[in-house]
Amino acid sequence: MKYSLILISLLYMTACAAQEKKAVPEVPVNKAETIAVPNNTTINVTYKDEKKSKMCPAKTQHPMTKQKKDVLSIHEPLIISVVGQGVAPVNTTSPAQAYALAKRAATADAYRLIAEKVKGVSVDGQDLIKNMMVKRSTVRTSVQAMVRNANIVETTFKDGLCEVEMEITLSHSDFAQ
Amino acid sequence: MRSRDGNHSFTLRLCTIIILSSFALNAGEYLISYKYIVKNDVLFNESLDISKSMKKCRGIPAQTLILPANEQNNFVKLISHHRQEFIDYIHQLGLDIRSKDTTTNNQINSTTIITLKTTCFKVDFNDNFVKISHLKQP
Repeated sequence: MKYSLILISLLYMTACAAQEKKAVPEVPVNKAETIAVPNNTTINVTYKDEKKSKMCPAKTQHPMTKQKKDVLSIHEPLIISVVGQGVAPVNTTSPAQAYALAKRAATADAYRLIAEKVKGVSVDGQDLIKNMMVKRSTVRTSVQAMVRNANIVETTFKDGLCEVEMEITLSHSDFAQ
Repeated sequence: MRSRDGNHSFTLRLCTIIILSSFALNAGEYLISYKYIVKNDVLFNESLDISKSMKKCRGIPAQTLILPANEQNNFVKLISHHRQEFIDYIHQLGLDIRSKDTTTNNQINSTTIITLKTTCFKVDFNDNFVKISHLKQP
């Protein structure tokens, strides 16, 4: 009985070792789920870049995670610079009003870009296929954030297009809790 | 006439009360909210709402803006005169950003909403200038 238990445990360990050797060079495979309905089809695609191992959960790491490094270091602040664009509405009474409105739109765009860079964007996609043809392809992106202490560096207004260069300095203490 | 403790005169105490109450009358607290919507890179709607606070706000004065005073000590008129400066000041306090882009058959529709939630500001009217302080929640 004892020997059989030892033998089983040895076999399990060798199996784990063999699987680890296999898992390291293996590139994760993207999975796509497709549902085919003859007349009207909606396809939701979900990509999974992680392949989980049921037998040996430990030591199976994605190749990219090995090189993971903190973006924000303690001693060095990070400066993020973006350029937002805005256009004046058609029915403006004066060039000054057009400039002011375009600048406001460009500022909002710059804020959005900063939020996208710092916090990230959530992306959702949907394709409608009818009679084996793509009828509608929709991609929705959204971002929600709170931005404080962003500074406008430069503003240019040319041919109805206003460009606002905005900068934000991120330090480690802003995020430390 | 001497007071009961014998150190301060009645006149001095009365003057102190009058001066302090006049200071209190000149200071006010206002609730301000600001929102603007940009659709497809064009400004769609902008609103700046100012209202006198009906009850005392809690908070510590944090960032300050100093504007030249007008004659009537009217805060709404003051802000309308110095709108751009005040909006730049609001931007420094921190704004909530919500953006949604929808691309349908390669045609994009984007909406960005920038909001300053209703925030209390302390306003001190002086002879030559007005001090506006954002009351930060403790």
